[in-house]
Amino acid sequence: MTERVIHLKSFFEEARAGRLTGIRCGRCGELAIPPKEYCATCQQRDWQRVPLGGAGTIVSYTVIRVAPRGRGGEVPYAVAVVRLDEGVSLLGRIVDIPFETLKAGLPVRFRPVQIETQTVIGFGPA
Amino acid sequence: MRRVAVIGAGVTKFGKHDRTSAELFAAAAADAITDAGIAPSAVQALYFGNVTGGETERQLHMGPLAATLLGLPTVPTTRFENACATSHAAFRHAVMEIASGVSDVVLVGGAERVLNVPTESATEFFAYCSDASIEQPAGLTFPGVFALIARAHMDKYGTTEEQMAHVAVKNHRHGVLNPKAQFQKEISLETVLKSAYVADPLKLFDCCPFTDGGAALVLASEDVARRHRRPIWVLGTHAATDTMFVHEKRDLSRVTATERAAQGAYRQAGKTPTDVDVVELHDCFTIAEIVATEGLGFFEPGTGGLAAEKGWTSLGGKLPVNPSGGLKAKGHPIGATGAAQIAEIVTQLRGEAGPRQVGGARTGLTHTLGGNTATVLVSLFGRD
Repeated sequence: MTERVIHLKSFFEEARAGRLTGIRCGRCGELAIPPKEYCATCQQRDWQRVPLGGAGTIVSYTVIRVAPRGRGGEVPYAVAVVRLDEGVSLLGRIVDIPFETLKAGLPVRFRPVQIETQTVIGFGPA
Repeated sequence: MRRVAVIGAGVTKFGKHDRTSAELFAAAAADAITDAGIAPSAVQALYFGNVTGGETERQLHMGPLAATLLGLPTVPTTRFENACATSHAAFRHAVMEIASGVSDVVLVGGAERVLNVPTESATEFFAYCSDASIEQPAGLTFPGVFALIARAHMDKYGTTEEQMAHVAVKNHRHGVLNPKAQFQKEISLETVLKSAYVADPLKLFDCCPFTDGGAALVLASEDVARRHRRPIWVLGTHAATDTMFVHEKRDLSRVTATERAAQGAYRQAGKTPTDVDVVELHDCFTIAEIVATEGLGFFEPGTGGLAAEKGWTSLGGKLPVNPSGGLKAKGHPIGATGAAQIAEIVTQLRGEAGPRQVGGARTGLTHTLGGNTATVLVSLFGRD
């Protein structure tokens, strides 16, 4: 296969509908988000589209209190790197989890977050 | 490949300026040319670095503008943008232009001006150096990126907020000795620890400031440099790149691009970490200095915090790190930073750093990190 099975646009369209999608290398099995042309592990170009369950655990997190222009109304908010159960990681906004309970290893689950017209990757309670 | 030397360096005062980025660079460049003792007409190319000029000054195509305001409007110019590693990347390419024999004298450096816009705008523009599909929409900021790294380092090694605070206190102490520094004021451990969180666990005084400033270097081939009274030799310069996505980093407690850039530069120079006498490294946040001292091979993984706490990286310590005050106290005009770090090492190796001089320094290293740890350059320098 020489063409990508998913692009950023369709990745976010799927995410907006609550479906998290990755790609798996048909040669070495590497999972990746977001889509790319070559597998960073084996340099092959043989991708398969893979639906992801959305369950994972926090790898690292931070509570952001100084935001970029136009985002000041959102602070404080937490952002985390989450390792999904399938073995691939993703960064997203933490929603509906008290800051003081955040820690590495905490189980979370993907959910799309709509901020104005933008779909943002989010993670809520497992 | 031909040997390359730095024969001139110029740096503006760092802080708030009412001059444009191109003007700031031109001022630093004129100082570097004077320092080199060459005729301005000897410059054969300009490699110029700037990051946010399109946003903060509505000015692109800044290379020719900088050359024009310097008074050398016909010198061929190229603009570089590699986030906070911009002018170190420009430096590496300038070295290659001379090493390859294309030119004998090249001017390189950069400038940045951001204090003319509100902090929230500067925060937004800097965030453009992270990914715009996943990371910016999630609200990730640069303090946020390094907060994720800090948390991972704390979880893995037990690094503490107090150890991070020691980096800030040390670099401010050094900055007092640098008349070009944005902050020439000591701060206490308590001041750092009681400052407000910007992105937990990083507090305001763990972060470097927004800064205006320019820096420039004159590079020359060995033939030209030998006629110069004090060449500082480029022993090695290496660039490394890593994935742009924070979530794809294999281990958030490490910056693997630093490790790869360092290995390449050491190999090129025929040096090891124990040969290094003085270091200017990328302390955009206190945790960044701790992780860099590990990645550059000075301290074992997980012991960078201890090194800061024990004063090993202070002037007078076993390996002085950031005698200029670093990005933390000297300031961080992102397009100028890499060149400014090299200017400090040149000053140190010439033995002209005054009260912040590292005694007997013969070999120096600079390390500059761009964006969300996706770009790193490391260079090594030596004197005759």
